[in-house]
Amino acid sequence: MWLPVVGLILGVALGFLFSVEIPLGYVKYTAIAILAAIDTILGGLRAQVEDRFDLSIFLSGFVVNAAFAALLAGIGDLLGLDIYLGAVIAFSIRIFDNVGFIRRDVITHYLKPGR
Amino acid sequence: MASVGLPRPKAARTILWRSVMAVLLALIGFLVVTQIKTEWRIKRTLRIPSTQLGELAVALRRQEHTRAVLETKVVELRARLAEYQKAAAESRTAAAGMNRQLQDLRALVGLTPLQGPGVVVTLTDSTRPPKPGEDPNKTILHYSDIAGVVAELWAAGAEAIAVNGERVISSTGINCVGTTILCNTKRMAPPYVITAIGDSRSLAQYLRRPGGALEMLAAFDFPVRVTPYARVDVPPYRGTFRFEYAEISEKE
Repeated sequence: MWLPVVGLILGVALGFLFSVEIPLGYVKYTAIAILAAIDTILGGLRAQVEDRFDLSIFLSGFVVNAAFAALLAGIGDLLGLDIYLGAVIAFSIRIFDNVGFIRRDVITHYLKPGR
Repeated sequence: MASVGLPRPKAARTILWRSVMAVLLALIGFLVVTQIKTEWRIKRTLRIPSTQLGELAVALRRQEHTRAVLETKVVELRARLAEYQKAAAESRTAAAGMNRQLQDLRALVGLTPLQGPGVVVTLTDSTRPPKPGEDPNKTILHYSDIAGVVAELWAAGAEAIAVNGERVISSTGINCVGTTILCNTKRMAPPYVITAIGDSRSLAQYLRRPGGALEMLAAFDFPVRVTPYARVDVPPYRGTFRFEYAEISEKE
């Protein structure tokens, strides 16, 4: 269980070590990428908790979601409309959903194992 | 802790899940930190959140446009400035040249005091008492004597002449009014001191030449003295210039 934590710490450390300059115009896209990644992580966690984790679904979900969010953001830039907000809202809803499911799963499976 | 209470999945799948999670979490950590750092940098340097970058871009574009317009204006103004400077320099040199020319002309017409080598000719009435029955006119100097000496000096190459401190200029007339001689507007009495600037040797030689005006005067017992000087002073013309009838003609 410590391996993901080590990965997180490693990523944070790398982020502090290497100051990657995000071009100002792309700050929006990286924000969406972060949201997509968090969504994917929570989805993977939920799948693991529900014992139906599948690597290909997990990875393809991450890639396609991130790509589609980026595409929406790009189209929004072209149209002068903040369509990426839609992706943000969708990701946020999914994140809350997943958190809710994980919470129930953990409660069901771990805190009340007798039922 | 999750692995303790939850139903155990297959060991291989757990390891795969953990490693994938580790990679993704590393990615998220990296992205979040970078993002936060970028946001901080934006806020620190631009003092606006990144969500207002669009407005900033519009402002920037407007500024760039203004800047381009101003740059062309600067180029234009610089060219005009260079033109003005050139014109100013030209007019300055022109003014300096005109001033020099004016000074030369003032000296030529006799409005400036002049100095240089030259001769001083002193003429006085004859000291010999008139013989009985002789015309007393023969013992006094006439305006024509003065005018003759002046003309000889001009002919000898004198550059400036004054008679008794009165500058001889182009319109100077030497004449007589009653018993006195008039030069310019000044009445004169003997002795007549004629000062001339020029090559003192040739002036003196020319004046003393045989058959010259001075020889004639000397023959009539007029005391004549010609003295060369290394430096004589000729005063400026103090009268007025006036054209009442003459006009500047276009004809060459």
